[in-house]
Amino acid sequence: MKYNLSVKEFLEKRKNGEIDYNDFYSTFLTNLKRKNKELRALRVISHSQKGDLNKGKLYGLPISVKDNICVKGVESCAGSKILEGYIPPFDASCISNVKKNSGAIIGKTNQDEFGFGTFSTNSGFDIPLNPLDKTRVAGGSSGGSAAIVAGLDMPHVSLGESTGGSISCPSAFCSVVGLTPTYGLVSRYGLIDYANSLDKIGVIGKTVYDTALLLSIIAGHDEKDFTTINKKAEDYTNYCGPDVPKKIKLGVPKEYFSDDIDKRIRDEVWNSIHYLESIGIDYEECSLKMTRYALPAYYIIAMAESSTNLAKFCGLRYGLQADPTENFNNYFSKIRSKGFGEEAKRRIILGTFARMSGFRDAYYLRAMKVRTLVIDEYKRLFKKYYALISPTMPIFPPKIKDVKKISPIQCYMSDILTVPPNLAGMPMISVPSSVPSVGIHIVADHLQEGRIIKIAYLLENRC
Amino acid sequence: MKVKIGLEIHVQLNTKSKLFCSCSTNSENSKPNKNICPTCMGLPGSKPALNKEALKKAMRLALALNCSFPKAIFFSRKSYFYPDMPKNFQITQYEIPIGKNGSYQLKNKKIGIWRVHIEEDPGKLIHKGGTIKTAQNVLIDYNRAGIPLCEIVTAPDFSSIEEVKEFLSGLISTLEHLRIYDPLNGSIRSDINISIMGGSRVEVKNVNGIKAVEHAIKYELSRQKNMVKIGKKIKMETRHFDADMGTTVSLRTKETEEDYGYIFEPDLTWIDLTKEFISDIKKNMPELPKEREKRFLKQYKISRSEASVICMNFRLAELFERVAKQVDAKLASKWLRTVLIGVLAYKNLSLRTAHIDEKKLIKALKLLESGEITEKTCKELIIKLVNGEKFDPANYVVEKRLKKVADKKELEKVIKDALKENKKAVSDYKSGQKEAIHYLAGQVMKKTGGRAEMRIVMERLKELLNSI
Repeated sequence: MKYNLSVKEFLEKRKNGEIDYNDFYSTFLTNLKRKNKELRALRVISHSQKGDLNKGKLYGLPISVKDNICVKGVESCAGSKILEGYIPPFDASCISNVKKNSGAIIGKTNQDEFGFGTFSTNSGFDIPLNPLDKTRVAGGSSGGSAAIVAGLDMPHVSLGESTGGSISCPSAFCSVVGLTPTYGLVSRYGLIDYANSLDKIGVIGKTVYDTALLLSIIAGHDEKDFTTINKKAEDYTNYCGPDVPKKIKLGVPKEYFSDDIDKRIRDEVWNSIHYLESIGIDYEECSLKMTRYALPAYYIIAMAESSTNLAKFCGLRYGLQADPTENFNNYFSKIRSKGFGEEAKRRIILGTFARMSGFRDAYYLRAMKVRTLVIDEYKRLFKKYYALISPTMPIFPPKIKDVKKISPIQCYMSDILTVPPNLAGMPMISVPSSVPSVGIHIVADHLQEGRIIKIAYLLENRC
Repeated sequence: MKVKIGLEIHVQLNTKSKLFCSCSTNSENSKPNKNICPTCMGLPGSKPALNKEALKKAMRLALALNCSFPKAIFFSRKSYFYPDMPKNFQITQYEIPIGKNGSYQLKNKKIGIWRVHIEEDPGKLIHKGGTIKTAQNVLIDYNRAGIPLCEIVTAPDFSSIEEVKEFLSGLISTLEHLRIYDPLNGSIRSDINISIMGGSRVEVKNVNGIKAVEHAIKYELSRQKNMVKIGKKIKMETRHFDADMGTTVSLRTKETEEDYGYIFEPDLTWIDLTKEFISDIKKNMPELPKEREKRFLKQYKISRSEASVICMNFRLAELFERVAKQVDAKLASKWLRTVLIGVLAYKNLSLRTAHIDEKKLIKALKLLESGEITEKTCKELIIKLVNGEKFDPANYVVEKRLKKVADKKELEKVIKDALKENKKAVSDYKSGQKEAIHYLAGQVMKKTGGRAEMRIVMERLKELLNSI
């Protein structure tokens, strides 16, 4: 096919005027629609973008967007029925940045409702399928983004979002690259909150270069998001090169290679570690003892925050509505019972419980302390190691029909490898290995995106 | 009878924009739901951005109330479902308020200030065609949602309505002196905790304004006293004050404290109150009422009680200082504090609500000071000013022939004429009927058309009569 190009090739050809954009764009839409029928990756396909798409760094590169990131004028539901019909009157800051650089927003991708899940099966709409095996899940919660990036052989990048691993997991399952930046590097303004102290907007792409490119565009301080970091803009594609950093050592946390992790996955990650060793990057086994506490702490904080975030959805001002003929308490309950899925209800109940007086100290406040300890432990390791390397997911993507059999706790446990760095706000990248659906996870210290991009690039381009 | 009263006061700070967005705070003069944006409407994806001006203003108040500052603050989410709350949680402060452990000195007592913190105001519910209990429809205006509120929580140290009144008027004067509150557009809402004789605590919620606080306490005290009298137990409950009826009605009985499930507000980070930041606030602290009172004693040589009364009313103090630049301070103090405020109070007005032409007021006081008009005429002029009549004091005095007989010779002649023409009264006085002097004085005032100063007429009459 004539537009079967990488993002890098697309940009070069566009720069040199070698592509008829209108022809490209209509071909793209045709292919996208066809592919989407197969994969159910996008909930909405929209192509209403105005303005000159020949300027900026992206030259009209198609960008899909996870449903929980607000795009002005395009229905944004965060995968939940309760927001059906909600059309944001503003763009998320990352969308403004993409548009400024002539990225073409082409639609909203399916996800677990509000990000509550690991397989995108908790979607209020369609469940995206894994292009590598359509009987299996694409992963979650940014499943639609990873599925369409993997399934569509055209230049395209997707904006995802991770709270506890929602970029890494589907990227690993669909064998694409998922980059989750440091908490606060990318503005969350316009992101429909799951857990504000954990949410990070990131990128899913076919190559490390693609993710580094889009990160360079969306990163940076934003006065609309108080938690953004005041850091100078950086071109992360500069780290996409074959040079090997000298005298560095990677940490291999032994807790991330326990018997609970599928042996085929462990073996494949070890192969990658040995490859890196062969090109001169040393490794050493280390220990992340706090890992066992990170998962419960994460779920308590995430659920406590999300239970407050979800309070605003009550059918009064936007989204799902009914005729309000009764008192507001009954009306709110009616709308919420109808609009929220089972997992959302579970998290509202658990999250509310964890912050009730009498339990608050034992759960919520203690979890906050654990988070500090987890960060401290990472910081200590990063004094010694350039980055940490491990598997992304402990399992292969389950079959969609089997997901029902997985208990909520088993499902939460499958986040065991991605949750600790997410809880600590560390940047991470999942890069495909040579085995389908197995991702290599690389984690570095706060604001060291350059390091994870570097290592991922070396693995991606291994000979 | 032992009475314990504590107050939780919510003051709207006079910032230009709301606490977490750039919407205007001028909600009173706008159409409903005009001053709103994604943030104050809590639209999905919106985020709060702190208005530092509100923080600074609240810190001034905390300083004025002798509170101590923490090293850093953060905000919390207080969760409860209510239609006037766009997010169904309120961003407020819980664990670490801006100020705590402060105090306020009344004349005879110190009132503990437990905490001072900032939070966002909810929207406003309008109960169409009825009350909170009877209205068929409720409208919601979110213009108010997100306006910065400063909450002041006192210890239950008040034991009478008088103490509460003294505190509240002092607090309002302090707020105005700090330039953080606009009494015309900003509201003050109080929750009042009242218990008598060690009984259960009753909370009266959302009492609007200062007068209403007085009425609510008065009603609640007598209600509780009657309960005790007839041997009934006072329940721990929350009551609503009906301003029209002047009564309180039960909203709900409290089994336990409400559980708001507080968590940290994760969209706002810790905010350091650095030494530099605090010292900057201290440096820019406006003069407080009590400091002003001290300065008035020195600068204007007026009495302590005069200075105290003036400084308890910010606008009066401002007016006084401007007037005292042109008129003798003691005269200004007396006439503004007693006559002007008295006339205003009689008309149910205040310096906030009445528009008084200050230049004309100063002209009138100058005419009095220079002896051109009598005190009676001066008061007449002030009444006209309060009524908002259009006139020039100097011209008016001439036109209405109100100019005082200031010329000593002229007055002397009138007095002597009166003595000549009223021989009987003179002899009555000389024979011991001292009250005859009043008749003589009356004759003098009649001849001058009331333009003579009674005090001077009496003095001169006495002298002349005694010399005969």
